[in-house]
Amino acid sequence: MKTVIETKDLTKIYNSSVAPVKAVNKVSLDFVEGEFTAIVGPSGSGKNTFLNLIGGLDKPTEGQVIIDDTDISGMKESKLFDFRLKNIGFVFQSYNLIPVLTAKENVSFIMLLQKESKAKMEKRAVEMLEQVGLSEKLNSRPGQLSGGQQQRVAVARALASKPKFVLADEPTANLDTESAFNLLDIMSRLNKEENITLIFSTHDQRVIDRARRVITLVDGAVSKDEKFESRK
Amino acid sequence: MKTLIKISWRNIWRNRTRSIIIITAIILGLMGGVFGAAMRLALEKQQFEDTVETQISHIQIHHPEFIANPEARFHIPDGTKISSDLNKRDDIKVASPRIVFDGMVATANMNAGVRIKGIDPEIENRTTGLEGLIEEGSYLIEDGRIPSILIGNRLAENLNVAVGSRMVLTFQDIHGEVINASFRVEGIYSLPSRAFEERTVFVKGTDINEIIGDTEAVTEIAVVINNPDDYRSVTSKIQESYPDAKVRHWGDLQPSLYYSLEVLDEALIWILIIVIMAVSFGLLNTILMSILERARELGMLLAIGMKRSKVFFMIVLETTIISLFGGVIGLTMAYGMIRILNKTGVPIPGGDGLSELGYSSVLYPSLETAFYFEIVVVLVVFAILASIYPAWKAIRLQPAEAVRQE
Repeated sequence: MKTVIETKDLTKIYNSSVAPVKAVNKVSLDFVEGEFTAIVGPSGSGKNTFLNLIGGLDKPTEGQVIIDDTDISGMKESKLFDFRLKNIGFVFQSYNLIPVLTAKENVSFIMLLQKESKAKMEKRAVEMLEQVGLSEKLNSRPGQLSGGQQQRVAVARALASKPKFVLADEPTANLDTESAFNLLDIMSRLNKEENITLIFSTHDQRVIDRARRVITLVDGAVSKDEKFESRK
Repeated sequence: MKTLIKISWRNIWRNRTRSIIIITAIILGLMGGVFGAAMRLALEKQQFEDTVETQISHIQIHHPEFIANPEARFHIPDGTKISSDLNKRDDIKVASPRIVFDGMVATANMNAGVRIKGIDPEIENRTTGLEGLIEEGSYLIEDGRIPSILIGNRLAENLNVAVGSRMVLTFQDIHGEVINASFRVEGIYSLPSRAFEERTVFVKGTDINEIIGDTEAVTEIAVVINNPDDYRSVTSKIQESYPDAKVRHWGDLQPSLYYSLEVLDEALIWILIIVIMAVSFGLLNTILMSILERARELGMLLAIGMKRSKVFFMIVLETTIISLFGGVIGLTMAYGMIRILNKTGVPIPGGDGLSELGYSSVLYPSLETAFYFEIVVVLVVFAILASIYPAWKAIRLQPAEAVRQE
């Protein structure tokens, strides 16, 4: 299996007024293609910071993040923008769709930034929305969709650009049980059928129970790294 | 680009009330600014027309001594020839030779001090449009035994005379001798300037020259040039050609008017700048509010890989669209308003006072079409400047933090 993400002694220290805070402390992990990983841990354990570092949204104080053989830790910001656009899909807790665009336009938008042709964008956006079960809602704006539906649009958007992996920041936190299970079903299916690498930061037991790898962070360091290959 | 314009346009209408308020502010601001500018330009134009075009002309030529002592003996040497030569120049529309001096006018009961202008009626009409100002009687066309005189409405009232009345003019001839001559009122002219009406009478130059004993004497040449903006350069050229004469442009002849127009121009620019700046600050506030409300969404755009330059451009585009939208509506309405007011006229409160100063008491505002386009350009430039701070705030957002904002 090909390694998609590799972190080496990844460390992030925030300088607070009282004392420096080590949010992530020498974390060395590998993520291989097609993995479904949940990063868990109590609040302040460094889950989000870790996700930000491997997503190129924050720079490490020390250590390296290597994605597909490219070290992004020292990459210039302008290059990092392009790198994120081409390689990483994001799903946020609060969906963060563009409220003035329809579901189809929201999904197309990332491809527009990648300068895809209009025809390709349209086709791919419709395909992705069909995959997440929203073929009836192509022209609905986020305000006309439920929370679960909005999060599915966000998943379609994250996958539309064919990223190397998807980072999902507590994607089920704002969803009711039915919507959460629905979303997890879709993401599990895409993970298996399309071999998409998924990394979640979560508190949600429903997600943890589906993940085939669960990494527990405590005080910024890895305290447990468990694999559940038998999970489907 | 098309998608960015679409997003910007839809973003504007996300908070409909706020956008309508700022667009209304732009419309009202522009209407007010344009109205103020049109009124000021109308005042400027009217003052220029009333004073320069109908009274003093763009340039005047005199004997240097005449300015202090307006007497016939200080006539311009070769004045008739100079006038004839000036009329042949390309940059000069017309040059009117005059014999001008001060004197007294008397009727059976009253008298008054006046400035007597001996003119060539045809050339003078091309210079000041004097024939068009005649309210009663005719324009020096009669050739009777008693020479004709044109007097102002106000003077006619003061002396209690009418067309056909006789009056006696008393003045000095070219040798300084006092002469009395009888004239018959052929026409009464009217001008906004009461002082001019009271003080100025016109007679045929040939009549007056015959009376003073010098048929060629010219004490003043009034010059109208083809391009009024070139008055300084043409004045210099004429002065170079005739160094013995004193050549002055309208700014020298009417310094108070000149400085008043200068101040008006300056004030006009500042009024528009202040209006547009006020509108721009309103825009800045609106866009800034919108940025703060959309921090999470902008953070998401930065997170997924939209370059900061594109986010910046998107914010500038939104501001530009709002300003263009409000600007085009505001200027269209202002254009309509100015068109209507140009037809109806705008009475100036206390207009009688202006009449005393020689100006009309009703203004007819108008603006050149190019002016409206210039305002749109200035508005958009200021709007873009106003959008820089909110756009800068937007691109300073840290995506990792912004996406989690409540």
